[in-house]
Amino acid sequence: MSAWLDMALNGAPINDSLVSQRQQSLALLRAARWPNRKVEAWKYTPVRALEQIDYSAANQSTAARGVDAVEGLSAIELVLINGVPQAIAGELPAGLQVRALSEGEAIAGELFGSVKPSRHIFGLVNDVLAADGWVIDVAPGVQIETPLRIVYRTTEAAQAHGRVLVRLGDKSRLTVIEQAEGTEPSMSTYFSEFSVGVGAHLEHYRFALQTGAAMSVGGCHVLLAERSELHSTLVGFGSDLSRLDVDVIHGGEFASAKVNAIYLLDGRELFDLHSTIEHACANGTTEENVRGIAGGQSKAVFNGRIHIHRHAQKTLAELNNRNLLLTSGAEINTKPELEIYADDVRCAHGATVAETDKGALYYLQSRGISRSQAQIMLNFGFINELVDAMPNAALAQWLRPQLRARFAQMGDA
Amino acid sequence: MLSIKNLHARVEDKTILKGLNLDVKPGEVHAIMGPNGAGKSTLGYVLSGRDGYEVEQGSAELDGHSLFDMETEERARAGLFLAFQYPVEIPGVSNMEFLKASVDAVREARGDSALSSAEFLKLARVVCKQVNLPVEFLKRGVNEGFSGGEKKRNEIMQMILLAPRLCILDETDSGLDIDALKVVADGVNSQRSSDRGFVVVTHYQRLLDYIKPDFVHVLSDGKIVKSGGPELAKELEAQGYSWLADHPDEVPAE
Repeated sequence: MSAWLDMALNGAPINDSLVSQRQQSLALLRAARWPNRKVEAWKYTPVRALEQIDYSAANQSTAARGVDAVEGLSAIELVLINGVPQAIAGELPAGLQVRALSEGEAIAGELFGSVKPSRHIFGLVNDVLAADGWVIDVAPGVQIETPLRIVYRTTEAAQAHGRVLVRLGDKSRLTVIEQAEGTEPSMSTYFSEFSVGVGAHLEHYRFALQTGAAMSVGGCHVLLAERSELHSTLVGFGSDLSRLDVDVIHGGEFASAKVNAIYLLDGRELFDLHSTIEHACANGTTEENVRGIAGGQSKAVFNGRIHIHRHAQKTLAELNNRNLLLTSGAEINTKPELEIYADDVRCAHGATVAETDKGALYYLQSRGISRSQAQIMLNFGFINELVDAMPNAALAQWLRPQLRARFAQMGDA
Repeated sequence: MLSIKNLHARVEDKTILKGLNLDVKPGEVHAIMGPNGAGKSTLGYVLSGRDGYEVEQGSAELDGHSLFDMETEERARAGLFLAFQYPVEIPGVSNMEFLKASVDAVREARGDSALSSAEFLKLARVVCKQVNLPVEFLKRGVNEGFSGGEKKRNEIMQMILLAPRLCILDETDSGLDIDALKVVADGVNSQRSSDRGFVVVTHYQRLLDYIKPDFVHVLSDGKIVKSGGPELAKELEAQGYSWLADHPDEVPAE
């Protein structure tokens, strides 16, 4: 299969309260086909780079540098360094419980693997290897105003696995920001599962901003109960291997999901976003907008599946994917998939790949704006709508200069 | 200030300009009229450096600097302004951001200090009012969903904000009703000054009732074939352009 996997599984599974679930996943993993070009979900995304890092050089010190604050954002900081939870500063608001996964709370056993589908092979790896992480529980009816910011930090040459399990009680409200960055050689799997109760509201962000040799395969998996709401924003940069699997399951009627995703790639980077929306119940709505820009010799992969089950009548689902190719060397593989088994639904999907509008570039230049700045403005223009749609203004403010810096680096060559 | 000598230029394989000469001095307004396909729009694109428009021979200088040695943005910073016949829509880039970036770039090139956001907003509001565009248009995407008239007024707004040395107006009157035409002409007239030149490219004489030219030139088949005062525009209005084809011998040789 994979020398990396054999090495990673050496000594597994972890003997804790989740051991039976871990063993099950290990059995599935052993039986599964390791990703290669012939495995549809991994057709465009080679994982060879995993084998090339010398993980023995890992500095297991957890005394890595602190976490940069987001200006204007007062958040509860939940930090995982190489998958190990760090102490939480300050008091938690009433109705919010946050524990380390290793504390063995009963709720962890209930949530672990309850939302994340077992088809994600690195999700199985995470099931087996994620010794720790965060378990978050919001009591019914409680509105948590302060966002939770979960920072995934992976040190050089480390392999890190972390798991986040979140339960939103009925009619509760929570904002969760998942943030990963880094450029140094490493491999991480960070998977989060959210069980959103009846009438509850989850505002969610996942910033997969690893670049360079920082490899990551992760996922966010959301189960929506009746009349619950999800507003999710996903932002990805590419690296030697960067993959995100997102699942949204409408498990109750009248649930609503809004998913906005942006990916921006440069150099020889790879970013792969696979999203699956399961409309298992009637009267649900999904609106998914995905925009990507690929420069250099990068490769972007987007697979957006919407699956409307037989009883999911009156579903409204829209999936739109637009891409901008900055160079002839860049590559975009996009595949929207609509699978509809109910007859009274409204669904639409579309995917486009375009080049920079030369006329717009000339127009901006004719007003004295340099070509490189004009290109940055046009790139920004392409994704601005989704940045503006982020419900948290401080986060949007924090993100913009990072996007600008990325665009400046991408250039137009 | 603008001196074009024996300009030959082509688009793809087709030579469009075939030996064009034009001199514009500060304070002058020159109208260039001519039938469709004469090369009127090509002139503006060649001077501003649009991709795909290639100079075969000849020269064009603005204040003694060769335009063809500069990038498009450098020409703009040197004081060349082209008001587009078809301004480009750029969704996602706000008009405000666009105008600020543009003014910043031109001011920086001139050695003027950058305007703060507040100073710029104040200025932009004044100019919005001058060209009769609602202030809300500053927040909208560049030309996004603007009517034809709104786009042209946005062009004039840019011209006023950038305070160029030489303005080329490419069929700025096309698609305008008479009220919009007056607004556009008022905007242009407000910018006429002794140190600024204008080249007004138009198919119809109508615009010249509002922007009074000092000189009128007839462009045909890539060359200026006749030049005169404002009265020439009236003649063209009466006679049309068919005489160009019917009596090529009457055309004075270059």
